[in-house]
Amino acid sequence: MASYILRRLLQAIPIVIGISVVSFLIVHLTPGSPVDKFRTPRVSPETINNLIRLYGLDQPLPTQFVKWFTHFWTFPFDNSAWGYSFTDGLPVRDKIFARIPSTLWLTGVSLLVTVIIAVPIGVLQAIRQYSWSDKIITTFETIGYAMPTFWLGLMLKQTFSVQLNLFPLFGENSFGKNGDILDLLWHLALPVTTLAIIQIAGWSRYMRASMLEVLRQDYIRTARSKGLTERSVVFKHALRNALIPIVTLLGLTVPALLSGAAITETVFSWPGLGWLSVQAVTDRDYPVVLATVMIGGVMVILGNLLADIAYAVVDPRITY
Amino acid sequence: MTRQDDGTPLLAIKNLQTHFATADGLVKAVDGVSFSIRNGATLGVVGESGCGKSVTALSVMRLIERPGRVVGGEILFDGKNLVDLPDDEMREVRGNAISMIFQEPMTSLNPVFTCGSQIAEAISTHGGITGDEAHKRAIEMLTQVGIPDAARRAGEYPHQLSGGMRQRVMIAMALSTNPDLLIADEPTTALDVTIQAQILELMKALRERNRMAIMLITHDLGVIAEMADDVVVMYAGKVVEQSDILTVYEHPHHPYTHGLLASIPRLGEKRERLEVIKGVVPNPLNLPAGCLFRRRCPNAMPICEVAPPLQEIAPGHLSRCWLTPAGDPPSVGEAPGTDAALVAAAALSVEQ
Repeated sequence: MASYILRRLLQAIPIVIGISVVSFLIVHLTPGSPVDKFRTPRVSPETINNLIRLYGLDQPLPTQFVKWFTHFWTFPFDNSAWGYSFTDGLPVRDKIFARIPSTLWLTGVSLLVTVIIAVPIGVLQAIRQYSWSDKIITTFETIGYAMPTFWLGLMLKQTFSVQLNLFPLFGENSFGKNGDILDLLWHLALPVTTLAIIQIAGWSRYMRASMLEVLRQDYIRTARSKGLTERSVVFKHALRNALIPIVTLLGLTVPALLSGAAITETVFSWPGLGWLSVQAVTDRDYPVVLATVMIGGVMVILGNLLADIAYAVVDPRITY
Repeated sequence: MTRQDDGTPLLAIKNLQTHFATADGLVKAVDGVSFSIRNGATLGVVGESGCGKSVTALSVMRLIERPGRVVGGEILFDGKNLVDLPDDEMREVRGNAISMIFQEPMTSLNPVFTCGSQIAEAISTHGGITGDEAHKRAIEMLTQVGIPDAARRAGEYPHQLSGGMRQRVMIAMALSTNPDLLIADEPTTALDVTIQAQILELMKALRERNRMAIMLITHDLGVIAEMADDVVVMYAGKVVEQSDILTVYEHPHHPYTHGLLASIPRLGEKRERLEVIKGVVPNPLNLPAGCLFRRRCPNAMPICEVAPPLQEIAPGHLSRCWLTPAGDPPSVGEAPGTDAALVAAAALSVEQ
């Protein structure tokens, strides 16, 4: 197992280099420049040129890339490793690290809620396939899956914040209540609901499909032929097998946990990584965009590795 | 459980009807099947794929899944009619008094539980012993079915065992509750020939030791010859011939049974090609009127337009064919239960 993990990590090195090159090129080749917003009649061309020199944008792209890429990996020791933000001059690393807790609260809680609700729904649908309850839930799943996140978020705000005045409109803490966990959960309610509704729609479909697949296996008939109760057949013999692909899916969700939920965070002004990256893209804040893209890329690789490890843990047939 | 033989059969199936309401129409997979199994005896059920033999077995276990349903008949076991037994009482029978093993040992065991725990589960469900004791008993069972190093094997997962080993585990699981009846649905079909012989030997030995009855489902008459006391031949959801083993092999009556016997290759016989029964099984959604076998039958006669009843042609020997007990075509007057005019009309229509 250890040698397998080591091998996978070594294999990841060329992938990471590939990701860096591609994201660096995309960011720099996208139309628009970080200095565009300063180009007004009152700013002299000289000032603009000074800014370009200050950001290092006057150097050839390969030089910029090598400088950025070699510096990037010193982040554990150097808070300037990811550069300084073009918008406020703060070290990008600190900006990003400061946002991680907020993002993890949002994505973590919503994933937890999703799994707790979606797994039983999928199981219920599978054991009553084509029943009325299955069909009605399927309808809601389709609606939920098709619903745009921003629209759902706005509707929830309109209903529960504006009209009913039950939940706050935006942010993660009320004024002067930083660190108050109940206040945080109160602020979390609507964004988590938004994310969870859409995720539950997808996850319960996976769970239903996985469970249906397992329920028609020969070993389920064997379990019944032993005289086990239906509960034991479904929740012990079937569920244990049906959860294997779900665990894999969980591993693949890890990158989304950290890269944040850009749309939901923006709609609810949630100070997480997703909102940060949306702002950074709008401002052409190259160092911040690159850092968030790189985090996402590395997380995808780690998430895949994690999924494969988890697979071996839950399925005795898999060994590395 | 061992019971005294008081002459009543252990299992008596009476006019069983199991139908599947599919999207394309009603499939009468089992249509009026009756037979019984004596205490400690082995009954072979033979027939082609799709003749209803497995559905009959699953009906006994009450494991028919939608859209299938037992729509008529009785399954009497131990004085109870299994067809309308409440679910919780049926669970007491299933895996306890009646156990079942399946065709596919590769997929019949749950891949995420160890072999030992799957056997122990059967024991603790019915035996009243749990935990370590059930596990010890599971290892005993594995030893009984001839698995070497049983204690280690009990801790292994199914994928670590070969097909023959897995079928042994299935047998150990089925027998761990000392059933009165073991239903074996093509237990050796998926196995290599040498392993087949071992599994059959094992089943024979365990049958003697446990004094249990076996309902052995197969399409292989060789397996039947090896194991069975009595034989039921099924075709398109109906019993077409039924008797003790010797009679079926020495005096088969139904042309379908003849065909099955002729299609067994024999050692030391030089034949260019195997005998086959011509044609295919009729479409279960659209069964022809009259005898279901007549379109493939070498002896088809005008009277076969009328469905023959299952009748006793000799003591204990039943056949669903118009041929006389001696195997001759019946004269018009002899055909029981038919109208001479109808037979004549049928004859005319066939000639045209």
